[in-house]
Formats: sequence, structure tokens, C-alpha cells
Amino acid sequence: MAQVEYRHATRIYPGTSAPAVSALELEIQDGEFMVLVGPSGSGKSTALRMLAGLEAVDEGQIFIGDRDVTDVQPKDRDIAMVFQNYALYPHMTVAENIGFHLKIKKRPKAEIKQRVLEAAKLLDLEPYLDRKPARLSGGQRQRVAMGRAIVRQPQVFLMDEPLSNLDAKLRVATRTQIASLQRRLGVTTVYVTHDQVEAMTMGDRVAVLKDGILQQCDTPRALFDHPVNVFVAGFMGSPAMNLIELPVTEAGVSLSAAQIPLSPAQRAGVTGDKVTLGVRPEGWDIVSPAEGLVATVEVVEELGSDSYAYVTPKMEGFDDGRTIVVRAESGAHPPQKGEQIGLRPKTASVHLFDTTSGLRLSE
Amino acid sequence: MAVIQATQAPLQRRHSKVSGPQSAWGTAAAYAVGVVIVVITIVPLLYVILGGFRTTAQINEHPAGMPSPWVWTNYKTVITSSSFWHFLLNSTVVAVIATGLTVVLGAMAAFALSRYVFKGRDGLYAFFTIGLMFPLTVAALPLYLQLRRLGLLENLWGVAIPEAAFSLSITIVILRPFMRAIPAELEDAAVVNGTSRLGFFWRVLLPLSAPALTTVGVLAFVTSWNFYILPLLVFNNQIHFTLPLGVATFQSQYSVDTARVFAFTSLSMLPTLIFFVIAQRRIVGGLTGAVKG
Repeated sequence: MAQVEYRHATRIYPGTSAPAVSALELEIQDGEFMVLVGPSGSGKSTALRMLAGLEAVDEGQIFIGDRDVTDVQPKDRDIAMVFQNYALYPHMTVAENIGFHLKIKKRPKAEIKQRVLEAAKLLDLEPYLDRKPARLSGGQRQRVAMGRAIVRQPQVFLMDEPLSNLDAKLRVATRTQIASLQRRLGVTTVYVTHDQVEAMTMGDRVAVLKDGILQQCDTPRALFDHPVNVFVAGFMGSPAMNLIELPVTEAGVSLSAAQIPLSPAQRAGVTGDKVTLGVRPEGWDIVSPAEGLVATVEVVEELGSDSYAYVTPKMEGFDDGRTIVVRAESGAHPPQKGEQIGLRPKTASVHLFDTTSGLRLSE
Repeated sequence: MAVIQATQAPLQRRHSKVSGPQSAWGTAAAYAVGVVIVVITIVPLLYVILGGFRTTAQINEHPAGMPSPWVWTNYKTVITSSSFWHFLLNSTVVAVIATGLTVVLGAMAAFALSRYVFKGRDGLYAFFTIGLMFPLTVAALPLYLQLRRLGLLENLWGVAIPEAAFSLSITIVILRPFMRAIPAELEDAAVVNGTSRLGFFWRVLLPLSAPALTTVGVLAFVTSWNFYILPLLVFNNQIHFTLPLGVATFQSQYSVDTARVFAFTSLSMLPTLIFFVIAQRRIVGGLTGAVKG
């Protein structure tokens, strides 16, 4: 058990100019479940592999506990990793796969057997111990990969998109299993995913990366409620936040009938003449067309518990192809296709960003 | 339902194609070609084997006839002669050494060429493949001089080592792509699991390469078994002769007794033949199958 710290850690792949991970500063507490999330090419996997020792650290340092592991071999870092394709050894049985590390470490046979059995029990793998990975289902393979990590009792678990090869239903179930297993074992975990739902549901804290740069690191709730910039605002949450660019006037920002005043601090943060208004689908009030922004309903997605309307607003400077997503209040009469409705943002749900810099304008 | 129909449609089309009149001709043609090749391969073989069961008088009378009556003495004399067993032993020793060297060195070279990144790697690989186009006959004289200087003439190692060297090309050409195809994630996993790079080689890469190793092993063994010119250069003394040399000597010694030569030749082919039949499936497997992660 240990805390993990990235200090100004940078990785530049040979032959490229832009760093894959740029001056990453991140502290992960002992026993914490940290999720690194971002689109592909954001450097999240590279950051994880740097911690594993599979990628060199070009600048800066990485600490596990009090130990500087920047130049330590992977095998001496006391970490365990779960890979995206599981990386099970095809020529070994499940038991041999799980016990591989212990065998390398030349532990006594009885101890290996004992610990493999414990891990297998934890993951419901007992009936499959003598099977080869080729004869397992996707979910079972994933659990073997987990078992191989657990049996080591490492200081840190590293997981590189371990659920991306499972079907949707199994992914949701396994998500919960991994999260609860981690809570039970209390081992510091760094988890990489591109799926923001996974990030929100699993992480104690979530670090959002883009282009190798850490955008924001906070609890899922805080990320959702107070995204620091347009990227985080658009990335976290599903369906995504609606981002609308609006000109700044004396009174503030106006969206049709609704006036959104800017505080002095916010006004000071505006570098251009535009701000980006961010409103999540659930942040709209549907009103009569006369009272709000007039919009035509294009499509309605009925999810049972919720329904989302994709609408095109009548507004200057708004791209024709784009739509605004609106969640219809449950219980209320959902908007119909082709209907004209009015939209008004709820005051508490308004996010404002400076369009030029993309940064949040906080009150 | 829609999904099922969609997947069935192309299947049905494929079936109708196979059973259509056009493809029937195609199949027949394929069979005809196959039969021709089999006949070309098998007939001389059968001729030699059956010839061993006849007497030279029978052969001279009806060169293409069947044995009547079947004569066992030819095979019996060969089997009971000490020189045959001596040649067989020499061949086996040389083949085993050559195969061992080829597989061990080839696997290590292919490992380095497939999983280490270093300058000039592709050049080195190309250099090995050039060896494929390099006939031993061209190298015969310099090789002879070299072996003489090394004092390896009249020595089984003097045959085994050059044989291994000449087999390395094909070995590396087969092994490198095979080892490259083993997912990098497996190596990462092994490294994180606590093995060194060599540990990965021994514990993961080699076991996973077993099919390809079998293939190159069999190829090296058969090549060595059939090698004629190299033993001819190196060995003068009959006690070192391998089977192909033995066959040649036997032929010149008993050139009049065709039947006995046939018997000797068939028996010297037998070990490789059996070997091939047993290993045949694995050879093909090693050439086609790569490991999935």
C-alpha cells in the first residue's frame, strides 16, 4: 500500500516533437481509486505505462511511497498490471497464469498453491484453474488477469482499459465488481479508460487528460459540477453538455429572452468578445415558444426513465447541423417530433467559459 | 431474425458456388493435378522399395515387374551388415547436433531480431535471408580450406557445424515473423510480472514458439540427413560416412547387384520418411499458425 506521485513527469516518444505526456503533476493517495480518462491520444495509457516502468520518463520523477522509481525496473516496482487484452500466457493454465509471479519469485509450491486458490476463490475462478485461457470466456479471462494482479499483493494496481473487450452488459457488472474489490483490498489503484461513464462511476477521483496535459483532477461530482474548461465540460457527462457561443454585451450574455449577468470577476476573465455558455441536457426548462429560445424538435430518444430531445434552435450564429440536447422532465408530457418548444436554462445549471481560452469563468 | 437471414444469405451463395457445374470441373482439375504430382513422387519411391524385394535377375528380365517371388534376402543382408548401422549412427549423430545447433542459435537470433530494437536490425535480417540464395557448392572450396585449418576434417562436428550454419537462414526467416507476431502485451505482462527479458524468452516466448521450433527442427534434421556434398568433402575414412555417402559407396561397390542397392537405398530413406509422416502436421502448423494474445 502506498501513495503514488507524478512529479513533472514527461514522456516524449523518439521521433516526435510533442510530448505524449507533458509535465504531469499528480498525487494519488494511499488506497485511492484514481481514474485517468481522456480521448485516444490523450496520453493516459502512456502515463500508466510510465508508472509501470514500461515507458521511460524523459523528465521529472515518479514516486511510489517514498521511493523514487523513475529509473527502477518494472519487476522491482512492486506493482501489478491488468492489460486491455489481458495478456494471459496461452500456454499456461489459469492456475499457472495466476501463480506466474510467485513462481518467478521462487516461493514454495505450497504457498503458491494456497495463494492462487485464495485469489481464485475471490474471483469465482476455482472450477477453471486447470483450463487454458483459450477455453475461457471473455469475462473469465478478464478475471484471470485480475487474479494475476491480486495474487501479488502489490503496492499499486495498474489497469489499462481492462473492460473494453467485454460486452456492454458484462462491462457494467464487472465495473461494480472491480470497484468493490478495490475497496475491499484497499490497494492504491490507477485505472485508465476512455469511457467517461466508467470514470465517473468507479473513481474516487478522476484525472482528465487531453493531448498529454492534465486538465483537471477531482472527484466525479466536482468534475461534473465545476469543470475547469470547455474540454472537461464537454467530455464528462452523457449526453454531453451543450456548448453555445454567445457575444458579450453590457448586460452580460443573452440567450433569447433569458439574460445571464456576468459578475465583475467573470467579466475580468473574458479575453475576447464571446463567452461559451454550457448547459447540460437536464439544465433546461422547457417552456412555451414565446417564453424562451425557440427550437424545433428533430428527434426524441426515449430511454424509459428519461427522454432526450434533440432540437435545432432558431438562433443566429448557430450551425445548422448542430442540435441542442434537452432532457424532458420525467412525468411531464415529452416533446414530440416536429414540435416547436421554448428553452430556458435553469439559473443554477449555467456554466460560463471564456471562448478564446476555453477556461471557466467562475463567480 | 433479420440478422440471421443476413448471415445465412452469403453462406448459401457460397454453397451454391461450390456445388455448381463450373466448380465441379475445377475440383476435377485440381484432383487431376494432385494425382499427377503424387504419381511422379511415389512411383520412383515404390520402384526402389519394391526393387529391393526382387533379385537382380528379375529386375534385368522385367525392369517394371512386380516381385515374384518376394525376396527378403536383400533387405536381410543390409540390415545384418554392420556398415549400414554404422552409417545410420553417423547420420543420426550429425543430424542431431546440426538440428540442436540450428534450433538453439536460430531461436536466439530470431528473438534478438524480432523483439529488440537496435540500429541495423533490418539490415542484419536481410543479411540472413541472403543466405537462402547461397548454394553450398559455391562455398565448397573455401569451406574445405577453412575446415582443414580448424582441424575439423574427418570429424563429425566438421559436418554438423556448417550444416547448422546453412540451415540458420531458413530458420531465422521462419522464426522471426512468428516471434514478432506474439503480442507485445505479453512481454509487458511478463516484465511487470517480474521476469527479465531472458526470462520472458525462456518462459513465454520459447514455449509459445514450439510449433515453429518443431518446423525448423524437422527441416534442419531432414536437410542434414540428406546432405551429400558436405560429408563427401569432409570425410575420407569410411568409418565417418553418413548414409548418403554410404549409399554412394554401396552403389559403386555393388553396381552389378541392383536389387541390393535398391534395398540399401530404401532402408536409408526410411528414417526421414517416418519422421516426415509423424511431424508433417506440425510442420504445416508451424508455418501457418501464430499465437493470439
